[in-house]
Amino acid sequence: MFLNTYTDSIDFNAAREWIHTTLSGVMPAWGVTLTECVLVGLCLLLGYALIALALIYIERKVCAFFQCRLGPNRVGPYGTVQSVADMVKMLIKELIHINHVDQFLFNLAPFIVIISSVLAFGCLPFAKGLAVLDFNVGIFFLMAASSIGIVGILLAGWSSNNKYSMIGAMRSGAQMISYELSIGLSILTMVVLSGTMQLSEIVERQSEVWFLFSGHIPALIAFLIYLVAGTAETNRGPFDLPEADSELTAGYHTEYSGMHFGFFYLAEYLNLFIVAGIATTLFLGGWMPLHISGWEGFNAVMDFIPSIVWFLAKVGVVIFVIMWFKWTFPRLRIDQLLTLEWKYLLPLSLLNLLLMTLVVALGLYF
Amino acid sequence: MNALKEYIVSFFSGLGSLLTGMGVTIRVFFRKKTTEQYPENRETLQMFDRFRGELTLIHNDRNEHHCIACGICQMNCPNGSIRVISQTLTDEEGKKKRVLDQYIYDIGSCLYCQLCVRSCPHDAITFDTQFEHAVFTRSKLVRQLNHPGSTLEVKPKPVAPKPVVPKAESPKVEKPQGEAPEAAQAE
Amino acid sequence: MNKIKDIVSRIAPEAVFSESAPWTVTVPTAQFHAVAQALRDDPQTQFDFLLCMTGMDWGETLGVVYHLRSTASGCEVVLRIETADRENPQLPSVSDLWETANLNEREVFDFFGIRFIGHPDMRRLFLRNDWVGYPLRKDYDASAEVNPVRMENEETVDVTPSYEEHDGKVEQEERVLFDDQEYVVNIGPQHPATHGVLRFRTSIEGETIKKVDVHCGYIHRGIEKMCEGLSYPQTLALTDRLDYLSAHQNRHALCMCIEKALGIEVPERVQYIRTIMDELNRLSSHLLFWSTLCMDLGALTAFFYGFRDREKVLDMMEETTGGRLIQNYNVIGGVMADIHPNLVQRIKEFIHYLPPMLREYDEVFTGNVIARQRMQGIGVLSKETAISYGVTGPSGRASGWSCDVRKLKPYGVYDKVEFDEVLRTGGDTYDRYLVRVEEIRQSLRILEQLVDNIPAGDYCVKTKPIIRLPEGNYFSSVEASRGEFGVYIESRGDKMPYRMKFRSPGLPLVSVVDTLASGSKIADLIAIGGSLDYVVPDIDR
Repeated sequence: MFLNTYTDSIDFNAAREWIHTTLSGVMPAWGVTLTECVLVGLCLLLGYALIALALIYIERKVCAFFQCRLGPNRVGPYGTVQSVADMVKMLIKELIHINHVDQFLFNLAPFIVIISSVLAFGCLPFAKGLAVLDFNVGIFFLMAASSIGIVGILLAGWSSNNKYSMIGAMRSGAQMISYELSIGLSILTMVVLSGTMQLSEIVERQSEVWFLFSGHIPALIAFLIYLVAGTAETNRGPFDLPEADSELTAGYHTEYSGMHFGFFYLAEYLNLFIVAGIATTLFLGGWMPLHISGWEGFNAVMDFIPSIVWFLAKVGVVIFVIMWFKWTFPRLRIDQLLTLEWKYLLPLSLLNLLLMTLVVALGLYF
Repeated sequence: MNALKEYIVSFFSGLGSLLTGMGVTIRVFFRKKTTEQYPENRETLQMFDRFRGELTLIHNDRNEHHCIACGICQMNCPNGSIRVISQTLTDEEGKKKRVLDQYIYDIGSCLYCQLCVRSCPHDAITFDTQFEHAVFTRSKLVRQLNHPGSTLEVKPKPVAPKPVVPKAESPKVEKPQGEAPEAAQAE
Repeated sequence: MNKIKDIVSRIAPEAVFSESAPWTVTVPTAQFHAVAQALRDDPQTQFDFLLCMTGMDWGETLGVVYHLRSTASGCEVVLRIETADRENPQLPSVSDLWETANLNEREVFDFFGIRFIGHPDMRRLFLRNDWVGYPLRKDYDASAEVNPVRMENEETVDVTPSYEEHDGKVEQEERVLFDDQEYVVNIGPQHPATHGVLRFRTSIEGETIKKVDVHCGYIHRGIEKMCEGLSYPQTLALTDRLDYLSAHQNRHALCMCIEKALGIEVPERVQYIRTIMDELNRLSSHLLFWSTLCMDLGALTAFFYGFRDREKVLDMMEETTGGRLIQNYNVIGGVMADIHPNLVQRIKEFIHYLPPMLREYDEVFTGNVIARQRMQGIGVLSKETAISYGVTGPSGRASGWSCDVRKLKPYGVYDKVEFDEVLRTGGDTYDRYLVRVEEIRQSLRILEQLVDNIPAGDYCVKTKPIIRLPEGNYFSSVEASRGEFGVYIESRGDKMPYRMKFRSPGLPLVSVVDTLASGSKIADLIAIGGSLDYVVPDIDR
């Protein structure tokens, strides 16, 4: 049985060991490494595609429910196959050749965007023992990797030879650079609390109390700032100015068609997942179950739930909140967006960082 | 100091307004949905009886209609979507009589203004509630309204019979008094 | 009238005055501009609102009919000018006196070929620049050989001709709209936020708008020309297709105009039914406004809430009239059919249903800090500018101009119900928004007073089978959902109108976009457009 106590629930370490020993028995060491790399890559891409499809479906359903509609319900039971059907459509659609665009950059842009989001996706600790890239500056790498995406968006807007795309890309640049500050500062706040930048370590240190609770006020503020800035970072409403459909039709990806557009679309949803995943890891204890000290029975029940479920459930909650934002609020204007960042969020996160440092230095956390 | 206070107050009142909005949307999230599932509910779908779907020539169960081919509807149509083709028959007594041959209606150019129905002196035409008009070619939008082999309903003298399917509150008041002088030449 | 006579005869002694109402003054071309200026500026007359401007082809002569109104006293006067030169007709422009004349003179130029001397931008307004002939002239050749369907794109020109008079000689001058260095973005004709096929050529610098140039006519159908070939009952079918969100009100205006000309007294019951349907129409239009403005500002969910509730209004209208958008309900002398037995009950239910929903609207959008920041102080329209551009309806009232036709010249049974004319003074996008939201409440109030008191009686009076209007000209107007909708008919005693002109509330609304949007952001242009709430078929007719 693999579901007895929490420490042993779905143990991905054991699976990893097993694959490693099995492979070592049949091929030389370099072959093992190569095969494992390919396997990991495949799993990652598969997971990436599946999560994106699931998110697209969830978004459409959630959005519909907010809008007193039913959402997709024709393809498959409750419309579950809808996003698969959409993907197939996207795959077989023609890539329209556009005159007067910078062909090289135009074709390169979607790949940059998707590579950056796959890289960041690989850093997330999904479950106990299930993390692809895990090293001592993990969170730093994650931020660096996810920032590459902006280059892709700028390139897409620049190379499209379309005024709407251009304006969208410029907005996107201004927005992402600004909000990266807040994201960075709120992550830094949590790094101060955890004392490590390695993602697996951060999760381990939350086995008793999640950082959101142990860091109390500064952690809560950092969480809220992170949510807002993360929403902005993923170009989602109310910060969806780069693709503001009622102003710029589709912003930077106006001219893209077929799978090139599909890449932008997938990356957008995966970025949502990544932002929620980082929030989960930093604030909500990653794949750790909810423990309340003193409640042994409760803790045992919580332990019974496998870690991957914990992770996905927490991510799901954060994603729902971000969707809730999008489907409630009107869009900001570019200057208001920047005002919000530079006049409200940035001073607040700087103060908050100071507060957290004091809290940690004085040992005021749980 | 005032500026700082204003800054903080505006921050929290703004945050409050955002949360109020989120409260509304989450309430709607759990409410009953209003979507109509159209092809599935075809059986139960009831159009309002005054809905103007498409023009029909009323036939009774003996395949008879009321159209005497006077052409007033054609004359009244602002868009030329009605064409009444009549033929002249000679009956046994040698009397010449004009009867309806074809009643052609182009739904593609119909304005649904109801002038034809209102002006018909014999209540021969009406709008039904059929709304599924989609066809693949425009030529299919041109229809012949009189059923094949249909004839004019013989009126039991002296009063004209009521139409088989009377339009709800058929506009009696506004009916033209007698045929317009132009009606005879119209065709 | 005597004051007007004094003022006019002082400047133009040859002016001809009509004997009866409507007070019409035929002014000689040479003194026209001076007369118009005097009428506008004289404190005794103050005709500061150019209500309607109608190009005319009287056969021998071409000319223009101006309907002027004083916002202070409510007095109206009609000015006529004409020129016998059909080859190269030229008339003085009044676009410097009333801003609304700008687009209206372009429209007259487009359809009659009359050049206005002193107009800054004498391009065609609706038709393509390579169009041959002037369609609303009576001698226009409409054959397909003259104007075939052109498959090549219309060339966009950045210069515009204007005509100035120097020492009695008219010279053509070129004016530059956009120079080569400007970054000009096309917003429209296919754009989600222009609410139809309208095109703004927008010169921007970064995100800031420098200038907006409006291009209309993408769905111009020539309804005014079509009306000249249709009998009066047939023309009714076309009014629903102007501003489709005020279908009932538009048709009400035309029916009123024809009834006035024929001297028909419509029964009390009809007046009640018409007023009720007008208000239902206004409700549906304002709910749609609310929804689309929310959508323009990015709040898509709110859009669906508005449409959910509008559906109920549409159901009510459909049950009685048989149409949701094209209602086709008013006829000359009454309405098409009596109200449906369910209507009264449905309206009562709706009056109780909507207010809680309006509170939800306020919570989700009106109070929202983002929405407020997007709307407050954006696109400020002053009262004077509103009057000069002729921006009537809720947009005008948001600037503090009391221009509600329902109060100024009550028609239907508006004089028997109590309601407030919603006035605000800010003139910004937020005020335009609030005026409409408040008007939804006022419409409910009107409905509440009317719905139980519909008197018994006929729903239609008998009319002759062939309707001929006595010779003369007639004008009547109603308060449509987005402003004053007027109908001007010139009849020569035929069964068809000699000229039928619709004063659309939409044209002033788009003409003011440039003034409001210059200097603000691209996103503000969308908010301003959404708050002005124009409907393109109404502009293009």
